[in-house]
Amino acid sequence: MPIVLEFDNVTKEYRSFASNRRLCALDGFSLTVEAGEIFGFLGPNGAGKSTAIHLAMGFMRATSGSGRLLGEPFGHPATRRRVGFLAESVALYHRPAERLVRFYGALNGMGGTDLEKRAREVLEIVGLQDHANRNAGKFSRGMLQRVGLAQAIVNDPDLLILDEPTSALDPLSRVMVRELLLGARNAGKTVFLSSHLLSEVELICDRVAVLHRGRLVRLGRTADLLRAGGQTEIVVRAVAATHFDGATAHDGVVSFRVPARAQRAALEKVWNLGGEVLSVNPLRRSLEELFLEVTADPKSPASKGVQ
Amino acid sequence: MKPVFLIAINFAREQRWPMLTLLLWVLLLAFLGLVSDIHRQREDLLFVFKLDAVYVSAFSIFFGGCAIYNERRSRRILGVLSKAVGRQQYLSGLVLGVTMACAVYCFALGLTGSWTLGGAGFPVSRVWFLMICLVAACALAGTVALMFSTFLNPFFAAGATAVVLGLPALAGQFLGPQWGHVIPVWELGATVVNSSFDSPGTASWFPIVLAAAETLAFWLLSARIFSYVDIAVAVE
Repeated sequence: MPIVLEFDNVTKEYRSFASNRRLCALDGFSLTVEAGEIFGFLGPNGAGKSTAIHLAMGFMRATSGSGRLLGEPFGHPATRRRVGFLAESVALYHRPAERLVRFYGALNGMGGTDLEKRAREVLEIVGLQDHANRNAGKFSRGMLQRVGLAQAIVNDPDLLILDEPTSALDPLSRVMVRELLLGARNAGKTVFLSSHLLSEVELICDRVAVLHRGRLVRLGRTADLLRAGGQTEIVVRAVAATHFDGATAHDGVVSFRVPARAQRAALEKVWNLGGEVLSVNPLRRSLEELFLEVTADPKSPASKGVQ
Repeated sequence: MKPVFLIAINFAREQRWPMLTLLLWVLLLAFLGLVSDIHRQREDLLFVFKLDAVYVSAFSIFFGGCAIYNERRSRRILGVLSKAVGRQQYLSGLVLGVTMACAVYCFALGLTGSWTLGGAGFPVSRVWFLMICLVAACALAGTVALMFSTFLNPFFAAGATAVVLGLPALAGQFLGPQWGHVIPVWELGATVVNSSFDSPGTASWFPIVLAAAETLAFWLLSARIFSYVDIAVAVE
């Protein structure tokens, strides 16, 4: 798959000239996002997610390192014609929603009846067709976020970069966004999604990266990362729980966990003891558990677990 | 060019409230023209006309100095620059927007001035020449303010602009009149302020052309500086 977004050893430092302090927002950050995937970009507040996104969009320059967006270096204006972007805190001009979407579409070189038609279409997609002539300045935060989404997709972009697109949305709107993103992927588009809503990310993202203190601490396919450290749960009966470390018994059914590599030996032990195996299931953890695991310990080596 | 015009029109639209407030002074001139004997009160009318001209010059610095700051603080700049808009185009739009906002005001002032001052014997062609001087001065003053605002907050940008625009005038006083041409905002302003019914002045296009050229130069300089600025960081 072609690479649509690439960070190559990017470091970004913020410098305060007044206090001579330096803050390293990104430290040797490297990442590639392939075409046609929904990529989840996670990290606690201050991890450097927005900095990475702003670098990709050309809003700021890297202190060192480089990157490419759709094959061009970061900050190439013409490339952004193929990109849809939604910032974390949506800030829009105060004017009717449809005119606003048309304004942003026109900045991308669109025009005429195509733009008018497309503006109405995207407002319908985000469920704001009945508010097309209402001033966006009077919208709720959730509605603003939906107009923000509409302006991001008005140019039918190849790459969608979304920074917290569902933070202010109600559950119904979140489902709408989820379907929108899945539809985009099915159409061959790429989505780069930064979000704190881990359940959403877990549901739709093909790959996930976790950023912590400016460094990449986890990267991989969502399904792979959610396998709980290679643990397997074995449920048996007709065996005493005392034969297995940490086993629990309930109504004669014993369950215990073993590392995947010790699974065969454990099963043989059950059979040798005359027991019956009821189930063997690889354990799956939630993205939240993974997130807490990799971001909780500040002393964890930054490179640990990067695949 | 389309994004430049869109940004310019958008900027001018965003300044509609200060503009409307400013236009109240033009309304005052029109009101005075209506209620007073314009032949007997012609010096008063000319004074208000000059006052209105000075106000728009000051407002052009205000418009230019605040443009980037306000857009960054509101984060609306991210929405615009996330599109296929280069930073140079963005600044061009702002320069054009400042000039358009001031030109709308100058047009209204020109119309009112033609009616009131023209009726009192001031050459109408001279009124419009003065308006061209004023637009050129506003475009240059706004661009200098915009240039400083790419790296200073609006307060310091306005101060720095006042120094840059005022220094040639001071140098002109002490070192020789040729220094007054260096940045001709003061000279253009003086053309308006020194006009009188007895000597409306002569039309010299040199400072206007110079102001246009310097507007271009300061725009290029601001585009160069702005290309290095991290726009997504907090401006407070």
